Amino acid sequence: MEQLAERAPLFSDEMEKGLTLTLAMEEAARCLLCFDAPCSQACPAGTDPGRFIRKLRFRNVTGAIRTIKENNPFGWTCGAVCPTAKLCELACSRTAIDKPIQIGKVQRFIVEHGWLMGFSPIKKPDKTGKGKVAVIGSGPAGLTCARELTLQGYEVTVFEKKGQAGGNLRYGIPPFRLSEEGLSREIDEIVSLGVTIKTNTPIEGKEGLKKLKDEGYQAVFVSTGLWDPIRLGIDGSDLTGVMSATEFLGSMRSGKASEMESLIQNKVVAVIGGGSVAMDAAQWAKKIGAKDVYVLYRRSYTEMPAEEKEKIQALNDGIHFLILTQPVKYVGNGALQGIVCRRTRLGDPDDSGRRRPEEIPDSDFELPFDVAIEALATRPEPALKEMAELSWDKNTISASDTSLQTSTPWVFAGGDIVRGPALVVEAVADGKKAAQAIVEHLEGKGE
Amino acid sequence: MKDLSIDFCGVKFMNPFMLSSSPVSNCAEMIARAFDAGWGGVAYKTLATQVTKIIHPSPRLNKYNNQACRMIGLQNVEQVSDRPLEHNLKDIKWLKKHYPKHIVVASIMGFSNKEWEILGKAAEDAGADMLELNFSCPHMAIEGSGSKVGQAFDLLEMFTETVKKAVTIPVMAKMTPNITDMNEPAMYAKKGGADAISAINTISAITEIGLDDLVPKPNVFGKGAASGYSGPCVKPVALRFMADMAQNPDLGLPISGIGGIETWVDVLEFLLLGASTIQVTTGIIHYGYRIVEDMMEGLSDYMEEKGFNSVSEIVGKALPNVHHTDEFDLSRQGVVEYDLDRCIGCGQCYIICQDGGGQALSWDAENRRPVMDEDRCLSCMACSFICPVEDMIHYKEMPKGWVRHDPEPMED
Ligand SMILES: Cc1cc2nc3c(=O)[nH]c(=O)nc-3n(C[C@H](O)[C@H](O)[C@H](O)COP(=O)(O)OP(=O)(O)OC[C@H]3O[C@@H](n4cnc5c(N)ncnc54)[C@H](O)[C@@H]3O)c2cc1C
Ligand SMILES: Cc1cc2nc3c(=O)[nH]c(=O)nc-3n(C[C@H](O)[C@H](O)[C@H](O)COP(=O)(O)O)c2cc1C
Ligand code: SF4
Ligand code: SF4
Ligand code: SF4
Repeated sequence: MEQLAERAPLFSDEMEKGLTLTLAMEEAARCLLCFDAPCSQACPAGTDPGRFIRKLRFRNVTGAIRTIKENNPFGWTCGAVCPTAKLCELACSRTAIDKPIQIGKVQRFIVEHGWLMGFSPIKKPDKTGKGKVAVIGSGPAGLTCARELTLQGYEVTVFEKKGQAGGNLRYGIPPFRLSEEGLSREIDEIVSLGVTIKTNTPIEGKEGLKKLKDEGYQAVFVSTGLWDPIRLGIDGSDLTGVMSATEFLGSMRSGKASEMESLIQNKVVAVIGGGSVAMDAAQWAKKIGAKDVYVLYRRSYTEMPAEEKEKIQALNDGIHFLILTQPVKYVGNGALQGIVCRRTRLGDPDDSGRRRPEEIPDSDFELPFDVAIEALATRPEPALKEMAELSWDKNTISASDTSLQTSTPWVFAGGDIVRGPALVVEAVADGKKAAQAIVEHLEGKGE
Repeated sequence: MKDLSIDFCGVKFMNPFMLSSSPVSNCAEMIARAFDAGWGGVAYKTLATQVTKIIHPSPRLNKYNNQACRMIGLQNVEQVSDRPLEHNLKDIKWLKKHYPKHIVVASIMGFSNKEWEILGKAAEDAGADMLELNFSCPHMAIEGSGSKVGQAFDLLEMFTETVKKAVTIPVMAKMTPNITDMNEPAMYAKKGGADAISAINTISAITEIGLDDLVPKPNVFGKGAASGYSGPCVKPVALRFMADMAQNPDLGLPISGIGGIETWVDVLEFLLLGASTIQVTTGIIHYGYRIVEDMMEGLSDYMEEKGFNSVSEIVGKALPNVHHTDEFDLSRQGVVEYDLDRCIGCGQCYIICQDGGGQALSWDAENRRPVMDEDRCLSCMACSFICPVEDMIHYKEMPKGWVRHDPEPMED
C-alpha cells in the first residue's frame, strides 16, 4: 500500500465529499507546527490535532491515523460534525496570519484514508475478563466508554433502547451531514474490538439499575442522552402535521420515512426554534420536497443558537427565516392548516446573555402551514427519571465533574444526560473520562 | 512498535537515528532532551584542542527558500565546537553515565597528527562509544583542516591511522561531498583503518545575495563566502554518494547516512541504499527533536506492513536496482496517457510541453483541454509533475517498433 497515493472518495451517499490527499497535504503544509499546540488544547476529547497534522506533514500517515483513533473512537464523526469554529479552529495560531487550518476536514480525511488503505491501528486487547461493566445508551458517550473499557480488558455490554446503535449520530444528525456508511464503519470498529451492543433493550424504571447489579455488572455508565422533546404546549398541538423534531428526524431513519415524505412533499412546513436541530430539520424537510420551509424563531438572527455556517447554509438552501415570531396557536380541522403567530421585540438580556423576546400586544397574525416541526430543547425520558439510584439537577443527572461518578458509587453518567444538550466531542470526552474513573473505581485503592 | 535496533561496527544502536555533529548536538543538556525524545545516538559537535581559539562568524546561517517553501536548504559558516574541550568531555562523560544505552560518537578534528591523537584518546577516556573523524567541514577558517584534509587523501589516511593507533573504539571517517568520487577518499580512510564511513557533510555553496548591498548571505559584516549547505535540497546528492559507496565491493564498510533527512521516508531511502545508521541536523534546526517520533513510528509501521523483522534486513535492499545508465534497455519506449475526465483546464501541460517537451500537445481552446499527438511525446513526464490534478497523467509503454516523430527542420 502506497500511503501517500490519492484514492477515490469513500461514500456513495449524499454527504459532501471530503478533502483529497493533495488538499489535506496543503493544509498540513500551512500548519505552523506550534509549540504546545493551541488546537490540541482546545479539543475537548483530546484528539490532538497538533500531533496528527504534524504526522501527516512528515508523511507518517499511519501514525496520524493512529493518533486520531487512539484518542477518539469517533474521530471521523467529529471531523465531520464538530463545530470547529468554536473549538480547535478558534484556537488555531494560523488565524493570526490568515485563516485557521481546516482541522475538522483534515481529521476526517485521515480517518477515511485509513479506511481506504485498510489500516486499523487499534488492536483487540491481549487480556480480557477483568470484570463486567454495563453501558446504557449507545450514543458517542456510551460507545466511547465501552471501547475504552474493552481495551482495558473489561467485558462491556451496551444496552440500547432503539433498533440501531449510534444515538443522535444515527437518529438525530441527518445523513447528508453524516454518512450512514461512515457512521456504521466507525461503530463497527468499536464492536470488532469486543464490545457487545444489545439493541431494542431499554434499561429504565425504578428497578432498571438494580437489575443490572443483580446480573453481575460491577459498574454502570449511564449515557442515555435526552430524548423527551419539550413541546410548546399551545392549542392545536394534537392536529395531524404537528410534531417534534425528535419524531421527524427519528421517523426519517426508520420504516416511517416514506410516510413522512408523503406528509411533507409539496407542503408548507414550519420549523419552530433557532438551534442546530431546527436547521437540520428545516434542511431535511426541504430536501425531501417541501414546497416552502419557514424557520419560526422568537428572537432575532444573532440570538439563534445554530452555528453561523448552518444558518447561512439554510438561507442559501432557500429556507425562509421568520425572526421575532412567537407561535401562539395551531389552527386546523383534524389536520394543521395554519399557525397564529405573535410579533416579538427584544428586551433585556436573560440568563443566557441573549436578549429576551417580549411579545407585542395585538400583533397576532395567521400564516398557512401544513406541517409544524417543533425543534425546542429535549429532556430525559420520564422512565429514566424513575431510577432510584440517581439524583437529578432538574433535567440532568448530577455527577462529579472530575470522575462523572453519581451519588451511587458504582454508577457513572456522562454525555447530554449530564451536560444538557451538548456536543458529540464532549460526549466522547465524557466517555473517556468515565472509563478512566470506572477503572480506578474497580481497581482502585482498596475502596 | 517494532524493534528498530541495529548493529553498527559492533556497537548496538537502539535505533538508527542519530543527531549529526552540529549545533543540535552542542552540549549534554540538549542531547539528553534529544535522547528523551527518541534519538538513539549522537555524533557530538566536533571537538578540537584549544591550541587554536575557535570563534564563530556572526551571523552564522542563511536560509534557502523556494517560492513559498521555506528552508529547503540551509547555509552555515559555523566552525567546530567553541566550548572548552574539558566541558565537552565532561558532558560526554555525563551522557554516558545517565544514558548508558544511548550511543555517543565523539566527532573530532585535529590540526596536526598530535592533535588528532590527543583528541581521540581524550574522547575514548571520556566514554565515547565511537569516534567520527571530521575530514569534511567545507568552511573551517583554519589552514589544513576540514574538507581540505578530506580532499588531500594522503593526509586523510595518515590522520585516520594515527587515531586508529591511539584508540580501541571504532572509528568512522566523515566525508566531504565537495569532490567528484567519494570512493577515493573513502578507500584512503579504509587504508588508514577506518571502521565505517559517514557522509555527507555540507556542500560548499552560495544560497543568496543581498540585492542592495550585493553581499552574499550570511552577511558577516560586509563579507559573504561559499560555505556549507545542507537540508532537503542536498538529499538527492547524498543518496547518490550512498549508492556509490555501498556498491563498491572494495570498500565494504558500514555507512552512516547524512543529508537532508526529515521524515521516515527519507530514512528508509538512505537505508535502502546501504546506510545502516542515519544522522540529522537541518531537519532538527527546522522542526526540533520531535521529528524522530514520526521516524520511529513511520519506519516501524512500514516494517510491519512489508514483513521486515529488523532494520538490517532493509539495509541495501534497493542497491540491486541501481545501475549505470548505459545498462538501460533502450528498445522499450513509451508515452504519457491523460485521463482527461478529471482535467481542470489550466493549460500548464501545454505550456511546458511546447517550451520544454516534445510539442506533443496542442490546445483545444474551446474546451480548454490538451490534445495529445502520441507520436511526438518524449515521455519526459514533465507534464505529469506539474499537473495540479494528482495522478492524472500516466506512463504507457508503446508496442515494439513504434517510433517517435522528431521535429522537422524549418524550411524557408
Ligand atoms: C439533530 C441534531 C443535530 C446535532 N448536530 C450536532 C453537530 O453537528 N455537532 C455536534 O457536536 N453535536 C450535534 N448534536 C448533539 C450531539 O448529537 C449530542 O450532544 C450527542 O449525541 C450526545 O451523545 P450522548 O452519547 O450523550 O447521547 P445520545 O447521542 O443521545 O445517545 C443516547 C442513546 O441512549 C439511548 N437510550 C436512551 N434511553 C435509554 C434507556 N433507558 N435504555 C437504553 N438506551 C437508552 C438512546 O436511544 C440513544 O441511542 C446534534 C444533536 C441533534 C439532535
Ligand atoms: C550549523 C551547522 C554546523 C555544523 N557543524 C558541523 C560540525 O561541527 N562537524 C561536522 O562533522 N558536521 C557539521 N555540520 C554538518 C552536519 O553534521 C551534516 O553533515 C550536514 O548538515 C548534512 O546533514 P543535514 O542535511 O541533516 O543537515 C554542520 C551543519 C550545520 C548546518
Ligand atoms: S494551532 Fe493551528 S497552526 Fe498551530 S499546530 Fe494547531 S493547526 Fe497547526
Ligand atoms: S534561534 Fe535562538 S539563538 Fe538563534 S538567533 Fe533566534 S533567539 Fe538567537
Ligand atoms: S496540466 Fe493537467 S489539469 Fe492542467 S490542462 Fe494539463 S492535464 Fe489538464
